Amino acid sequence: MREAVTILLPVVLPALAGILLLAAKEPERKGVITWYTGAVLVATAVLVAVCVVSVNVPVTFFYLLDQVPVCFAPDHMGKVFALVVTLVWVPAGFFSFSYLKGGKKQKRFYGFYLIVYGILNALNFAGNLVTFYVFYELMTLLSMPLVLHEQTREAVMAGLKYLFYSFCGAYMALFGLYVVWHHSGTFVFTERGTLDPSLVSGNEGILLLAACFLLLGFSVKAGMFPMHGWLPVAHPVAPAPASAVLSGLIVKGGVLGMIRVIFYTFGADFLRGSWVQTLFLTLALITVFMGSMLAYLEKGLKKRLAYSTVSQVSYILFGLFLLAPAGLTGSLLHVIFHACIKSCLFLCAGAVIRQTGKQCVDELTGIGKEMPVTMWCFAICSLALIGIPPASGFISKWYLCVGAFDAGIPVVSWLGPVVLLVSALLTAGYLLPIVIRGFFPGQDYDYAVCKRREGSAFLVVPVVLLAAIALVGGMVTGGLTGYLSDLAGQLL
Amino acid sequence: MSFVQNVPFFSIILSMFSGIVSSMLPAKAARWVNTCLIVAVGLMSGILLVYLTNTGEPFVYWMGHFPAPWGNEIRAGVLEAGMALFFCLIMFLSMIGGRRQLADEVAENRQNLYYILVDLLLSSLLALVYTNDLFTAYVFVEINTIAACGLIMIRQIGRTFEAALRYMIMSLLGSGLFLISLCMLYDLTGHLLMSNIKESVALLVAQQEYTVPLMTTIGLLCAGLAIKSALFPFHSWLPDAYGYSTVSSAAMLSSLVSKGYIFLLIKIFYRVIGFEIIAQSKIINVLFIFGLLGMIFGSMSAIQENDIRRMIAFSSVAQIGYIYMGFGLGTEAGMTASIFHIFSHAATKSLLFVAAVGLTDVSKGRREFIELTGSAYRNKMAGIAFTVGCLSMVGVPMFSGFVSKLLFAEASIGHAHKMLPAVLVLALSTILNAIYFMKTVIRIYVPDYRSDCKTITVKNQKVYALTLLCFMVLNVALGMLSKPIENWIHSGLAMFG
Amino acid sequence: MNPVMIMTMSPAMLLVAILLPILGGIILMALPFRKRRHMEIYLETIVIITSVLVWLILIGRPAEGVPVVKFVNNLSLSLRLDGCGMVFSGLVATLWPLAMLYAFEYMEHERHEKIFYLFYTMTYGVTLGISFAEDMLTMYFFYELLTLTTMPLVLHTLTREAILAARKYLYYSLGGAAFAFIGLVFLMVYGTTVDFTLGGVLTPETTGDKTNVLLLIYVIAFLGFGVKAAICPFNSWLPQAGVAPTPVTALLHAVAVVKAGAFAIIRLTYYAFGTKFLAGTWAQNVVMGIVIFTIVYGCSRAVKETHIKRRLAYSTISNLSYILFGVTIMTPAGLVGALCHLVFHAVIKICAFFCAGAVIHQTKKEYVYELDGMGKKLPCVFGAFTVSSLALMGVPGLCGFVSKWYLADAAVSGGSVMMYVGVGALLVSALLTAIYMLTIVIRVFFVEAHDKKMDTYRDPNWQMLLPLAVFLAAMLVFGLHPAPIVSLFRDIAAGSL
Repeated sequence: MREAVTILLPVVLPALAGILLLAAKEPERKGVITWYTGAVLVATAVLVAVCVVSVNVPVTFFYLLDQVPVCFAPDHMGKVFALVVTLVWVPAGFFSFSYLKGGKKQKRFYGFYLIVYGILNALNFAGNLVTFYVFYELMTLLSMPLVLHEQTREAVMAGLKYLFYSFCGAYMALFGLYVVWHHSGTFVFTERGTLDPSLVSGNEGILLLAACFLLLGFSVKAGMFPMHGWLPVAHPVAPAPASAVLSGLIVKGGVLGMIRVIFYTFGADFLRGSWVQTLFLTLALITVFMGSMLAYLEKGLKKRLAYSTVSQVSYILFGLFLLAPAGLTGSLLHVIFHACIKSCLFLCAGAVIRQTGKQCVDELTGIGKEMPVTMWCFAICSLALIGIPPASGFISKWYLCVGAFDAGIPVVSWLGPVVLLVSALLTAGYLLPIVIRGFFPGQDYDYAVCKRREGSAFLVVPVVLLAAIALVGGMVTGGLTGYLSDLAGQLL
Repeated sequence: MSFVQNVPFFSIILSMFSGIVSSMLPAKAARWVNTCLIVAVGLMSGILLVYLTNTGEPFVYWMGHFPAPWGNEIRAGVLEAGMALFFCLIMFLSMIGGRRQLADEVAENRQNLYYILVDLLLSSLLALVYTNDLFTAYVFVEINTIAACGLIMIRQIGRTFEAALRYMIMSLLGSGLFLISLCMLYDLTGHLLMSNIKESVALLVAQQEYTVPLMTTIGLLCAGLAIKSALFPFHSWLPDAYGYSTVSSAAMLSSLVSKGYIFLLIKIFYRVIGFEIIAQSKIINVLFIFGLLGMIFGSMSAIQENDIRRMIAFSSVAQIGYIYMGFGLGTEAGMTASIFHIFSHAATKSLLFVAAVGLTDVSKGRREFIELTGSAYRNKMAGIAFTVGCLSMVGVPMFSGFVSKLLFAEASIGHAHKMLPAVLVLALSTILNAIYFMKTVIRIYVPDYRSDCKTITVKNQKVYALTLLCFMVLNVALGMLSKPIENWIHSGLAMFG
Repeated sequence: MNPVMIMTMSPAMLLVAILLPILGGIILMALPFRKRRHMEIYLETIVIITSVLVWLILIGRPAEGVPVVKFVNNLSLSLRLDGCGMVFSGLVATLWPLAMLYAFEYMEHERHEKIFYLFYTMTYGVTLGISFAEDMLTMYFFYELLTLTTMPLVLHTLTREAILAARKYLYYSLGGAAFAFIGLVFLMVYGTTVDFTLGGVLTPETTGDKTNVLLLIYVIAFLGFGVKAAICPFNSWLPQAGVAPTPVTALLHAVAVVKAGAFAIIRLTYYAFGTKFLAGTWAQNVVMGIVIFTIVYGCSRAVKETHIKRRLAYSTISNLSYILFGVTIMTPAGLVGALCHLVFHAVIKICAFFCAGAVIHQTKKEYVYELDGMGKKLPCVFGAFTVSSLALMGVPGLCGFVSKWYLADAAVSGGSVMMYVGVGALLVSALLTAIYMLTIVIRVFFVEAHDKKMDTYRDPNWQMLLPLAVFLAAMLVFGLHPAPIVSLFRDIAAGSL
């Protein structure tokens, strides 16, 4: 009972608070909303922390279908993801207080922002595949209003695109779910898989197909080629804090789904050496390269960051599909680091756009003079994303490369690192020029028009916080890496 | 010999005699004579039916105490008596239902002529039903033709002349074929009496002599009667004849005249040639195919028709196709279905004709669909009756059409090769029926608040409404109480043999 | 043990439940109501009494049947309630009073209200008749009757469009019934009994060497009944029939009529031909192929359609084929899935239609692109619409997910390639459902309004909202706690009920 309450609170509190906010009348003073939201965010963060620390047993709530309960089971993997979510969600929320100030429909934004937070917590704590699926669909649905918040035609179309791609993925996953159910008889996440050997034998073909569909389905959220089309459209049109969490966290929902499928449902052994592994390694590498290349060619600041997300999340997927401990460790590290880095970058971009109205990369000459703190954070995160030591991205990429060599898959073991490196170069190519021209605008720059445009504390502090994590994460990683290695070891 | 056994003879003579008497009477009196005649003959047939059901034996009535082959015989079984009763019933209702129309459409001085023709028609029908002699049958076929022609032509507009002429030509062609085959049968067997011919034919078949001439003869016989009963493709005379003659004529022509010929054909199958011989011959395959074609093409023509009366007429072509399809199956079940359909169709078709008149009456006499819009509101009883008729035709359960459809389908399933084509065409034809009948029903129920059309209520035309009611009751009775009728058809067929 | 005595109802009550609304409707025409309110009370009373009676019958289910009328060939119209019938009658009995309530509000400004209510009430009895039918013939009888009683409802507005729609509806339905009729006759001839028997009435002794013919007949009959269930290519009547007033479209064209088609196919497959005879044959693959195609086809058309009601109608086409997909899996699990979707889709779709109807009633807007930004003005209506959209898509927690789950589970257990393709089709269709439903939701909630009259729009009154609330509750309850109802369906599929 105590566990049940502990685990439900971080889910129900923000969700209810959000619903309440949506249902309430527009208050006279807008400040009330932000205070309310802030309080709920902090309270939820605390609750998540409590839950992570204190709950270790699965809690079953009710039976959705005959033998399929809705159940929460916070294991290590879930807890890692839950902490990452909280780490980014709360700062981004605070950022939005300032970012959205004076904007329309704040009530709706914060309402959905809170609800999705609750949903994400539930997603991370989900104890079986159906529960996961339930919250996965809810996440899609309820995060959609964040995407089309601006209500421009473009935003609405992007929202629709986001929705339909996601549902396409969800239904592909559902197909796999049906098949898996028939061959395992349970959906409870178990390390190394739940397949029933007696039911599997003779049905490997259809099960691999099911695995393929499940993974392909979840890969839609993770923006993997060929289902990445929605991501560069949907992320940039959202308000910056929403883009930050979409790019930093929601995509990780897809990653978590894939982890749950590979390591907790089928088991790495079942997939190792199969065509599914080859297919997804290939797709991941294609996406890594393609995303970077597209980002390099893109001129819009937020869109460039969105393409970067496409590329970076596929780093994670590449690591997963190596099915090697080092690769998985690298992936998990990259989940954490990329969440911080990418949301920080988006918040920076948001701050720049809000303060200067400049959306295009070419306009940002001299921005470092106008908004030094923000741009410093941007610079740090850029370095981290490229993977320059000692910033955090280096560690994760290192493990990924080691994993690629360890896995010993022909071609991939050398092609993988090469692609990762090329992509890192491209990352440098699309991020560093912004920083360089921002701080060193050149001789044409008219210093006279330059004025300090740094925003309020709400715009600055979350950015600094996230940038700090991105930086420090690379330096003090001993404990974290060890923990994740152990986790990876248990799964492989 | 029981006195009742005189009934067949009496009814034939009575109707002929009343025809003669009517020629000297004024129209009104002729009408009374006619009505009384039909009622009397109907009653007598009813009594005969009861008598025959009780004895369970058919009887032969010698005309003038000469036994065959010299004498002329009349033969009565359950089926014959029932058919006579039914014919009287339909004729009675059709006459009453069309009476007012008749007064409008036929000149006063010709009206008694009309009743004479009807009397003659009845006598010839009765003779066709009862006779046991092929030549007598031929004579009455001709009388029937002449009477029918007169009935068509009595309404003197251009179209009816043309129709009567066409009818005459086609009918004479049919009679001619019938006569030729009669002669050939006489050549082959040396008899004209049905029972005797049957024995000889059985002998011929057993000895396998004269196979080709015999089959040709049977073929010609069937062709002749098929033309007369308007089997597709010999139906060209039908739409005009049914469509433009006065309504009683149309109802009687479609429900009685063609059915008389069909009944004669059945009789020839059973009493002259022998059902087994027919069933084994190829001729019934031809009938089957033409029956199926008729079911389809009759309905297709009806769909294209824009005149309600002609549409109903074309529908008759399709329904006659059903009957021949039942013959074509060459089984007892098929025959039963066909005979049931004779009843069901007669009851329904005359209902439709009579009801259609009620609808055209309130639409300034116009018969195009567009003019009929909303007519069911102007003449409620006719609207309801027409709908009932349509539902029966489409084969909705509870009405007679459903039972015949059921019987046809069951019969065809009993047949190994003809099963699928029969049931599929049956379904297809139901759809086609639904298309044109339901189109009409919807049309007449679409309100059109026209002020220039009169409205007829039940109070205005009590007799007419009552007629329609009787028709509907008859229809539902055939639909709901089909079991006794079916049994009775079975025993009638058994008495044929 | 529970000592409470459950009163077992007499089987005659089945007949009473059918006749009550039919007679109630007819009496309505005779009663002169001075106020509209009185008529509403009268009708609602009739409907509620019937529903209560049906529920009492369901609780104290009479074990034996009741013959009503003797019909042809030892066939009779007879009623009996078995598990499958319980589901359908329970569903109908629950939805009808709510739909009636809704209709009062919706029809307030329409013409010919009395005629509308006459047929609307009569249809209730007829639909109950379908679910209570003990044998194929009885079901066929009520099935035809259903076509006839619902046709005037389609015709109701009497516009040209309505006339065309009504005609098409009739042609399709009667035509389909004509083909189903073939199946009925074959079952009469080859089956061991005419009564519905779980597992089928065909045995190897009765079928003999006719297996392939019977399979062909199954396919034909499936297509015939499939016309009402709107399988491709016989679906075009359904969107067109959307011209009818919304209470009709919602209750009849999303539940009663189309589900009657699906129900008839369940009867045909599980209770007449029998899964033992059909499973694994080419016939199964053929019908499953058609159904799978329809699933995708319906959705694709819905995506293209911009008229709200027609879009929902296309969605109905697709979802009906979900049910039929479950049926064609031909295992008990498939039947469970089919029954689940039969009930759940009814609740979802009627809710969606009522929302659409409420919008049309309140704002006179009929096209999707006119709805921009209305979510704020009609929050209750569009809230309900959103929830039903999500349920229709199969979002977990709402009932659509449950039925899809059991359908897919049955298909995967079946394991043939075709069934996997079917699961794929279900999911493709779910995606398309998301597209055509959520575009509306996003339009109404997230697109700026540009209609000047926007301020005048508001939610309808309680008579329209109460049904919506009930449906929403049902969707949630079935979605979150489906165990009781699913275990009921399991018992039915296993034959223990």
